[in-house]
Amino acid sequence: MKIRGILLPSTLLAAIIFITLPFGSATEFSFRDGGKTKHSLAAYRWILAQEDFLHYLGVSLRLALGAVFITLLIMVPTVAWLHLRAQKYRPLMEFLTLLPLVVPVVALSIGAQSALPEALQSNEYELSFMYVILAMPYTYRALDIGMSAIPLKTITEAARGLGASWIKAITFVIAPVIRNAVVASLFLTLALSLGEFTLTSLLHWDTFPTWVTSVSQQNIIGAIALSVFSLAAAFLFLFAIGLLTMRSKSDLPEGQE
Amino acid sequence: MTSTTQDRVVIKGAPLRGTLDRQNLGVLVPLLPIVLFLGFFFFFPMAVVFVDSFKSNEGNWSMINMVTIFHDPYRMAFINSIKLGLVSAITASIPGALFAYVIETKGSQSLRRIVSSLSGVLANTGGVPLAFMFVAAFGAEGSAVMILKKLGWDLYAGNFSLFSFTGIVVVYLYFQIPLMIIVFSPAIHGIRKEWRDASQNLGATPLQFWRFIGLPLLLPSFAASFLLLFASAFAAYATARAMTVGNIALVPLQIGNLVDGNVSINQANAGKALAVGMVVISAIAMIPYLIIQRRARRWQT
Amino acid sequence: MSSATLEINGISRRFGDVVALNKLEIKIEPGELVALLGPSGCGKTTALRIVAGLESTDSGSVLLRGADITKVSANHRNMGMVFQAYSLFPNLNAQENVAFGLQMRKVAKGNRLAKAGELLELVGLNTQSKRFPHQLSGGQQQRVALARALAVEPDVLLLDEPLSALDAQVRANLREEIRRLQLSLGTTTLFVTHDQEEAMSISDRVGVMNHGRLEQIASPDTLYNKPATTFVASFVGLMNRLPGILTNGKVEVLGQNLSALSSDLANGQVKALVRPERINVTQDQSTPNARVITRSFLGASSRIICEMHDGTIVQSLMTSHGSGMLNPGETVKLEIADLEVLIAHE
Repeated sequence: MKIRGILLPSTLLAAIIFITLPFGSATEFSFRDGGKTKHSLAAYRWILAQEDFLHYLGVSLRLALGAVFITLLIMVPTVAWLHLRAQKYRPLMEFLTLLPLVVPVVALSIGAQSALPEALQSNEYELSFMYVILAMPYTYRALDIGMSAIPLKTITEAARGLGASWIKAITFVIAPVIRNAVVASLFLTLALSLGEFTLTSLLHWDTFPTWVTSVSQQNIIGAIALSVFSLAAAFLFLFAIGLLTMRSKSDLPEGQE
Repeated sequence: MTSTTQDRVVIKGAPLRGTLDRQNLGVLVPLLPIVLFLGFFFFFPMAVVFVDSFKSNEGNWSMINMVTIFHDPYRMAFINSIKLGLVSAITASIPGALFAYVIETKGSQSLRRIVSSLSGVLANTGGVPLAFMFVAAFGAEGSAVMILKKLGWDLYAGNFSLFSFTGIVVVYLYFQIPLMIIVFSPAIHGIRKEWRDASQNLGATPLQFWRFIGLPLLLPSFAASFLLLFASAFAAYATARAMTVGNIALVPLQIGNLVDGNVSINQANAGKALAVGMVVISAIAMIPYLIIQRRARRWQT
Repeated sequence: MSSATLEINGISRRFGDVVALNKLEIKIEPGELVALLGPSGCGKTTALRIVAGLESTDSGSVLLRGADITKVSANHRNMGMVFQAYSLFPNLNAQENVAFGLQMRKVAKGNRLAKAGELLELVGLNTQSKRFPHQLSGGQQQRVALARALAVEPDVLLLDEPLSALDAQVRANLREEIRRLQLSLGTTTLFVTHDQEEAMSISDRVGVMNHGRLEQIASPDTLYNKPATTFVASFVGLMNRLPGILTNGKVEVLGQNLSALSSDLANGQVKALVRPERINVTQDQSTPNARVITRSFLGASSRIICEMHDGTIVQSLMTSHGSGMLNPGETVKLEIADLEVLIAHE
């Protein structure tokens, strides 16, 4: 019993040390002020003084919202349709949407660079489309699992049977019940888009993550401070999603007696 | 869980052929947007890569690029990348699996939530920020290095370098272990309490439970996770680029260099041949991964 | 297979502030099938798990053939247990599942597989022996689980709501089959369920539990006709609760003066507990005390729902032959066919 009792605490301690090592060091480093011992907020002040900071944050947000919009427009109706009327094509679609996971992003980048038309390649929203492809294995899964959990077909037929038009069925019946799955898939898209580096840099665009890398050339402390900032933000962001999904899961009954 | 889920007959995927009458077309039309989307932004680019890799840079059919990638420096890069994939998968899968086991079996609901959120961040968005954090910790002026120095251990007295194969493996641990936790936890979670109870009731010791039931159930998922970790480290670009200063040849970095035009133009299609090579190796790992995961889901309800 | 006596001697168990079991006392005779019946959370599953050795007890002891096994670990107890659902090992086929207990007892491979085959035949699954759990229906899975529990020739068979996850039809069939096997093998059996029909139909005795206590343990017949407490009376079968007035051990209800069975209540307003089949309904225009609301034809019998003048709803079960004229709206007279009634608080 004694060994069991310390197993969890000691594992957690090991994990905390493992995580703290680079994170703590980076946080300490980011407060350094030129010299090796003096600490200040200089690096963070420097960041805020950079016009590029807000500029590239804006670019990343814009492109991520573009990806979210495309997901909403293409993925959500498709998966809903698969569940409503095209059940037999679900295995095929599941297979197709998983394929981007098999191809390394580097390989897809070189393909996009050599195959997509010039007009598209000169528009930064090219990235939004590509982000949707990269996120597709995850967003498809999230939507598919979410919609499998509810008898979408039956309740839609019930609504139609009670005289609702398609528009009313979608607004008052389908949309509310699939909301959680949709929100989860949109958050996934947003998170992936905001952090994407490989494809963005290989297609020669500049977004927040690639800007951080270029900052490191001139101001390594600044780059480290930005890294601390972005990982902390990402953690808070995903933690919020965790809370959201927890609420929907806790409705399920657990066990008996 | 109702009896309907248990008594369900397993239906194999319905055949996709059949007459395309008007009704069938009506069902298919709403699927067109996603098929066109995937086709244009994914299948078409990959097809171009594939076709071009069998062409010379003048545009004639040729095996020259396919032959090139089997020679140095590319051959060496493939060897390095595969080695990195394997070493990274080995060093991350075992601690990741053990950690996932402790958290899943001993941790509270909220602890599991926190671990899964944290793992999600590190596995998906870690890359570049992590590399810089390691510079902060283990670079020549790094915090950890200075602390160790005060304790009497000068890390840089020998020929230590963060920008080495070992350095990359260590940094990769920081997104590979979380990735392992994410993909392996469901398998541990799927080990039902009833199976332990039943085995004990039938006379098995805890050791016998693991030998005959627990491990045989976890092994396929472990193998699948290992393959995913291999593919992930093999294909990783962002962290590798931030970490190496061109001193270690890795396939993703070489493709990056060719795309960036840092190398002479007559090697444009060599990048595509390299990409095809990467897709082939990645597929060898990922396809068994997807198949095993799918089969394991049968008991992970 | 020798039958064994199982004694549960005053076991208690708390989980934090919740008392799951309070000095539970049961003795099961060799070859007997005893059911523990009660609402969810009454402690019946905890009791079963303590007998299996899967849960520890705070006080009290478990005796098998008179020997104290309280401290014996679960894997040395030789008890076969059937769980609610999903307990088959998913990596083993039906035959290997059944043979698992024998494998742990170091029985040679050929012998244990042969024995597993025999048991699968006993539960009617000899053609499915190579199938894996996910290829079997819920009912088939539970049959395999039963065969697996019996394969080790257990001293005691423990059934933990083995039918609750199944469809009604499958449930009824498997219930009878469990009883048939149990009788032919003569295995002492403890059966936990929340379904009274299940408990009453196949058990030698039924123990009704509530809040970690045993309210009454008796044959199904006694339990139904002579419930010891009002909880047992209202949990087992249907009971009408008719308003009455208690005066010194006599209760006046529906105009009849009957003996009260439990007399520790104070004089005054009480409820008399009466089974539907003990209430006679007759057409009566002169001194009616109720009105028919519905009549449902159930075959040999019919159910009549009536409303008394004070609004109390009364259910009666009588032969269809005698109820033909009792149409909705009809004024009727209700009578209790007993001389003694159980009474409860208002």
